[in-house]
Amino acid sequence: MTLRICIAVLAMCALPFASLAQSGPLRIEITEGVVEPMPFAAPNFVAESSAANDFAERLARVVVSDLAGTGLFREVPRTAYISQLTSFDAPVQYADWKAINAQALVTGAVNVSGSNLSVKFRVYDVFSGAELGSGLQFAGTTQGWRRMAHKVADQVYARITGEDPYFDSRVVYVSEQGPKDKRRKRLAIMDYDGANVQYLTGSEHLVLAPRFSPTGDRVLYTSYETGFPRIYVLDVGNVQRRVLESQEGSMSFAPRFSPDGRTVVYSLARGGNTDIYRMDIASGSSSRLTSAPSIETAPSYSPDGSRIVFESDRSGSQQIYIMGANGGEPKRISFGKGRYGTPVWSPRGDLIAFTKQSKGRFHIGVMRTDGSEERLLTASFLDEGPTWSPNGRVIMFTRETQGATGSASLYSVDISGRNLKRIPTEGGASDPSWSPLQR
Amino acid sequence: MQKSTYISAGGHALLLGYALFGGLFEAEPLELPSMDISVISEAEFAALTAPAQPPDVEPIAPEPVLSAPEPETEPTPVVPEPEQIPDPRPEPPAIVEPEPIPEPVIEPEPVPEPAPEPAPEPEAVVIPDAAPDTSLRPKPRPADRVAPEAVAAPEPDVAIDNTAQEATQPDENAEQVVEEQSQTAPEEAATEIVTEAEQPAASAPTSTVRPKSRPRETASAPDTSAAVNAALAEALGEPAASDETSGPTLTAGETNALRLAVQNCWVVDVGSQAANVTVVIGMSMDVRGKVTPGSLRLVSSTGGEGSAVETAFQSARRAVLRCQKEGYELPDDKYEQWKEIEMTFNPKDMRIR
Repeated sequence: MTLRICIAVLAMCALPFASLAQSGPLRIEITEGVVEPMPFAAPNFVAESSAANDFAERLARVVVSDLAGTGLFREVPRTAYISQLTSFDAPVQYADWKAINAQALVTGAVNVSGSNLSVKFRVYDVFSGAELGSGLQFAGTTQGWRRMAHKVADQVYARITGEDPYFDSRVVYVSEQGPKDKRRKRLAIMDYDGANVQYLTGSEHLVLAPRFSPTGDRVLYTSYETGFPRIYVLDVGNVQRRVLESQEGSMSFAPRFSPDGRTVVYSLARGGNTDIYRMDIASGSSSRLTSAPSIETAPSYSPDGSRIVFESDRSGSQQIYIMGANGGEPKRISFGKGRYGTPVWSPRGDLIAFTKQSKGRFHIGVMRTDGSEERLLTASFLDEGPTWSPNGRVIMFTRETQGATGSASLYSVDISGRNLKRIPTEGGASDPSWSPLQR
Repeated sequence: MQKSTYISAGGHALLLGYALFGGLFEAEPLELPSMDISVISEAEFAALTAPAQPPDVEPIAPEPVLSAPEPETEPTPVVPEPEQIPDPRPEPPAIVEPEPIPEPVIEPEPVPEPAPEPAPEPEAVVIPDAAPDTSLRPKPRPADRVAPEAVAAPEPDVAIDNTAQEATQPDENAEQVVEEQSQTAPEEAATEIVTEAEQPAASAPTSTVRPKSRPRETASAPDTSAAVNAALAEALGEPAASDETSGPTLTAGETNALRLAVQNCWVVDVGSQAANVTVVIGMSMDVRGKVTPGSLRLVSSTGGEGSAVETAFQSARRAVLRCQKEGYELPDDKYEQWKEIEMTFNPKDMRIR
């Protein structure tokens, strides 16, 4: 008993001193950081042949443009450089790049032989004094120099951010020319940044809603060639097309590929009722997935192909629902005020982008697949038609300005709501569909 | 004796006789207020009441009272110079500024009635053009005819009663009514007068003791605690902690300074998968407060895998290395406490929702 009392007294005496002692290393928790672009340096690539001088600079410019265009990186002005890159294999003077606060350094070299172009690059973490990954080389033709620059930028982006890249991708959209009441529309395809525009159709007939296939080689779209909306499938390589769905007395629209590319899900209006159908591309057989007397449209598959998200006004107002890939009872996931439409499942599978109309304004927003954590990313007179970048990080959409002279343009925004910017296009542009990353 | 008695009796008799018959105690009639009245004709009365205002007042009254002082004739408020107003005269009554001016301004001409309102500050004259009503008494409205209604006769004058009234006397038989009073504490009294000088000193302290300064941490304290802990552990039969660091611990301020220095360089890509990952990185520090090259390592991670963890680690490593510059400011005498550091980078508060 006496021993216990002594121990207790001793323990009480020791308590104040125990806090002064520290067990193991000093531990600190940091929960607040900063959100700002990372400064990086990308000096002109080293030209390893005289013919490569022009390409060396142009390649570096596109790489810089890609990285800075994400809003996650900021180029350190070249006038601030202390070191100049003269050889691709020369050791990096980290102190020089640290001094100008460049956190990442991209070096490259270009060689041109005839029409063949090769480019190699390295990425360095300046403050760690180490290379990120290892050097890589791409080979192609001089005509495809821009795509090779995107490839380099993709690698740099992926190594620094840990995200899947998206620069080497294309966008199919509806090009718009002329005044609003006499607007001519045709399908066009371009690089994700607006370069290399090519037209896929003429402007004789109204075309709508082009959608890339999962492999990026085909495009589904709706055309009024016959006077009624019909779904066509177009081969991007040879620009050949064929009608996919044609039933007398019906209108088909809003098509979208399944993730495996074998099935198309679309809307069919017949007898005053619009429902969602699914068609097997190979056999041409179709099946009805919804049968409500309300309007069901704008279907979009989940990345695994097991579910379909779509819009419906069965509750009295336009809302977003999810059902199984084979139909069944849908589950409503949007419950906010306003009208929700054009849902698109993210390639990551975690988010659903949508268009929301509320209080006279349009928004592009995202929500979890259960409808939670809704966030509106944009707001304007008319924003609609979101499409995801291949890595699920950026959303491109149509923004139309008000008035008789208003026009449609393509915009993109990061899913964090930052970095809203216009995609440069010739004339008006609407209804974008982002391709997967090119192989 | 008899003679003097006769003389006295005779004198008294004369006095009484004078009093009774000489009018010595005759009461004089009461003085009543009297008014001089004169009988005038109806025409004379009409002539007296017809003018709305006494002819001698009407022309004068507006000017002295209503006419603004010369500097105030301008629409803008102007502070009149004292020299310009040699004679005091009243300010226009319409100005209701309460503060009176030091010297009353009075029109040189005699004024029938003084201005009722105190003169305002000159600065407060904001409505110079709004001429106030200047008449001292209301002017009757001009009427074309006499009102046809009969006017009620005035009440007769109060008649003065000559009847004397006896003065009231207190009735001794009347019941005395005593007003109830609320109970109050009896006035404090003492058996003897105590002057202020003789009052005893108050029991409250007149000064306070300065608080003792916080005991400073000394190097000997941890030694004591280590010894106590060792003794305690031995008494409890537990093995002594072998990885315990000796030396004084860092204060909260020193730890926070390090945290702030690192978090200012921690760039978080809130939209990335790495923003879901919490990483713990370990590092060894040299005595200058710089990370020992090659010592930065990933200790653990939660919330992700693969490239997301690698990216989160790179971001944390970059933050530590970028902001160390010439070394983090850490107390040299506590180097034993921070020569090994583990930092947890948890972006939970920065994730987009």
